[in-house]
Amino acid sequence: MDASETVKKIRFTLNGRPVSATVESHVDLVDLLRRFDLGGARESCGQGLCGCCTVVVDGVAMSGCLTLAQLVDGKRVDTIEGLDQTGALSPVQQAFIDEGAFQCGFCTPGFVLMTHQLLERNPDPSEPEIRDYLAGNLCRCAAYPEIIRAVKSAASRMRASAAA
Amino acid sequence: MRGFELVHPGSLADAIGLLDTDDDTVRPFSGGTALMLMMKTGVFRPSRLVHLGRIGDAYSEITASPAGGLRIGAMATLSALEHSPEVIRVAPVVARAMTRLANVRVRNVACVGGNLAHGDPHMDLPPVLAALGGSVSVAGPQGTRDVAVEKLFSGYYETVLGRGELITDVVLPSQRGWSSAYLKCTTRSADDWPALGVAVSLRIEGGAISEARVVVSAATEILTRLTTAESALTGAAADESTFARACEAAAAEAEMVEDARGSADYKTQLLRVYLRRALTQAVQDGAVS
Repeated sequence: MDASETVKKIRFTLNGRPVSATVESHVDLVDLLRRFDLGGARESCGQGLCGCCTVVVDGVAMSGCLTLAQLVDGKRVDTIEGLDQTGALSPVQQAFIDEGAFQCGFCTPGFVLMTHQLLERNPDPSEPEIRDYLAGNLCRCAAYPEIIRAVKSAASRMRASAAA
Repeated sequence: MRGFELVHPGSLADAIGLLDTDDDTVRPFSGGTALMLMMKTGVFRPSRLVHLGRIGDAYSEITASPAGGLRIGAMATLSALEHSPEVIRVAPVVARAMTRLANVRVRNVACVGGNLAHGDPHMDLPPVLAALGGSVSVAGPQGTRDVAVEKLFSGYYETVLGRGELITDVVLPSQRGWSSAYLKCTTRSADDWPALGVAVSLRIEGGAISEARVVVSAATEILTRLTTAESALTGAAADESTFARACEAAAAEAEMVEDARGSADYKTQLLRVYLRRALTQAVQDGAVS
């Protein structure tokens, strides 16, 4: 097959900035982000099970490892690196630090992005709701108790600032 | 993965035209969560993928019929099913089944049509839709036809869909008066593919079961209606002794497949236990009004 059929130039918005890239059809979204020097989304299981490669596309969380890069053409792509562009950490990032909700940190970007997704949809989740929502994110250091505390803490901080 | 051509037809007719070929390296691609796994492991090496994401928003709509049924566009995501007020009202068992299917990110992307057309007997949605009496609308080069979900599968990862055919909708008949439940058992870890799935749907009138559908999946080569179990239920009181007879009938009838998730004997015992629990839960949850 000649390359003109498999390679395509795409344009998309990456963390608020318009960008373009020439990508082969088989490249996935994690590898595309690597070309922009973004390492927050990491491939771990490669099967959509672990959540380490979480990326938000047009406001919807997906596994970068199961997303063909060419399919983000024309879309808005947000990664963990976009959360603190104002110079301040997001309330979820701050809560993860305050609660010590990680050890090695490999899974943390995925947990942080999924927590933002959860709290956008459900500002006051119960513990079972938190556990259900984050069931597809695996932490091999098993910092789960601290992660759940961080999610609750972030939720109450975000509710307080929304009410202010 | 190796390079392939990724094309984006702008209409259903164009998609069907692109798929009307004998070349089995040309395949439709919707959410892609299942196909990507096959491509990454080299099980499937496409020459061309026909992406269905741009054929039109109408194919992802979910609408309730005045008669109490439901039409679900094949491009509706599993998350859309999970959160749709229509699904929650008309077929709550479908929305509940989604909460233990894969994870949020996969459900955000995976689509109903692909979930069915993939033909994987371990999927949760097909047995549920079969137990609810669901059918699919299929469009292809020769026109359209309807296929009952229970007749859709012809083998392990095989369906009756022909060359160029695509599922466009899932249609559920009226669910009023039906009590339904779906249970699965995962044996290796909580998020494993199921060793067994069992879906039941009962119509109970005056304490007696007037109609019953029992579907087993995952443990069998294709999803299967257990007709002797249904016969044991039909016309009998909706009570424990009836359920016990139905479970024995199901255990005698189902042809279990041994694999890494358990032996055939073990899965037969799982069926006895999980069918009884599913029947009990359907009665407890009550009928759709």
